[in-house]
Amino acid sequence: MSSQKKLVVAHAPYWHDGSKISTKNYHIMIAALPAVLMGISQYGAPALGVIAFAMACAMIWEVVWNLILKKPASVGDGSAAVTGLLLGMLMPATAPWWVIALGTLIAIIVAKQIFGGIGFNPLNPPLLALAMLVISFTGIFDFNESLRHYDLGFVMTYPLADLKAFGPDAISKFGLGDLFMGRQAGAIGSTFGLGLIVGGLYLMLRGHMRWEISLSFLAGVFITALLFNLSDSAKYAGPLFHLFTGYTLIAAFFLVPEDSSSPANFIPMLIFGAMAGMMTVLIRNIGAYVDGVVFAVLLMNLCNPLLDKIRPKAIGKVVENA
Amino acid sequence: MSSKNGQALAFALAAILLVVGVVCYAAFPQKTPEEPVRLMLKSTAGKILFDHKTHTDDAGYGIACDDCHHEEQDESQSCSGEDCHGPDSDPKRGDALHTNCKGCHEDSGAGPVECAACHIM
Repeated sequence: MSSQKKLVVAHAPYWHDGSKISTKNYHIMIAALPAVLMGISQYGAPALGVIAFAMACAMIWEVVWNLILKKPASVGDGSAAVTGLLLGMLMPATAPWWVIALGTLIAIIVAKQIFGGIGFNPLNPPLLALAMLVISFTGIFDFNESLRHYDLGFVMTYPLADLKAFGPDAISKFGLGDLFMGRQAGAIGSTFGLGLIVGGLYLMLRGHMRWEISLSFLAGVFITALLFNLSDSAKYAGPLFHLFTGYTLIAAFFLVPEDSSSPANFIPMLIFGAMAGMMTVLIRNIGAYVDGVVFAVLLMNLCNPLLDKIRPKAIGKVVENA
Repeated sequence: MSSKNGQALAFALAAILLVVGVVCYAAFPQKTPEEPVRLMLKSTAGKILFDHKTHTDDAGYGIACDDCHHEEQDESQSCSGEDCHGPDSDPKRGDALHTNCKGCHEDSGAGPVECAACHIM
């Protein structure tokens, strides 16, 4: 037998469900449809414009990057389309076209391609783009301001902004059922809780998403919010309010479990999700920002390589040239 | 699906979405309604979200336009009248809003009067 090494593999459990990357990405788009359609039905053509333009821009930036670097076209894998779709879902329906163009440029080029493309990005691309946009253009992402011309027949103030500014007394006007069914102001694709959960379950059942990260994130949000609420219910909102408002559910099912920026091992996945959930509520309750999801997840993305050092001991021993 | 078909599908999708996006932005620009729904007032003490529709709508508080807007009032009337913004005043917008808003809220025993109940600090 030849002593030449035939295969060199690294650690980490590998997970293959037999499908291609493009198949997975098209399934993610299908899973996001209920929440997107609800947003479009509420805000009409402007919301459709934001979603369509974001997806188109993301794919165009990817093609442009491939052309500049003379790399083979990668737009067919659907990754850029998903990035554009998710960024569009995080935007208000009133987002101007140039914010979409800039946001998708950041998501595709700065957050993903500079690091080597799909599978190499250390941070979640739509969230990094959103973080930079939120810091740069606060007025556009103040949902109370950007949606001030809309009257959709339900309470149109942004629930998390009301909580931050006026405390739990101000949120008694929001029914949990209404929040869950998308009858709340917010980003185009992040308000319809039922649709996001259905989409998330679809991805879990099809094996396209790690349930460990999603569920631990939701548990992190729930438990931390519950502890705050139990400590002082006059100052902090209950856990279900935190689950059904802001970016919580879209993050749980579409953003936190993103492959490249999340851990691969079981225990790290649980820690990653739970810590991101905990940080989300910490930022919401005692931080400066109205919604903590964006920065909480990005912070945990940075911890991802460290967390993945916690890994199971290899069974047996390595025999050289076995 | 072969990778060539995948590329073709992606290019077709991008082209369709680009057309849809551009048409939506061009044909349905953001318009300010003739009568505002809500107003985001900005001040050094923080933003204030004012629900204009609830205050003017008959199903809401039914306040008449000229109770607040004086653009069409008789020129002989003064802004600093006893009934409006207080005597000896040359009201700035903030003073006028404070007197009008808080005054009405206090008189009717409804609505916020504390600073932090309106101003988003």
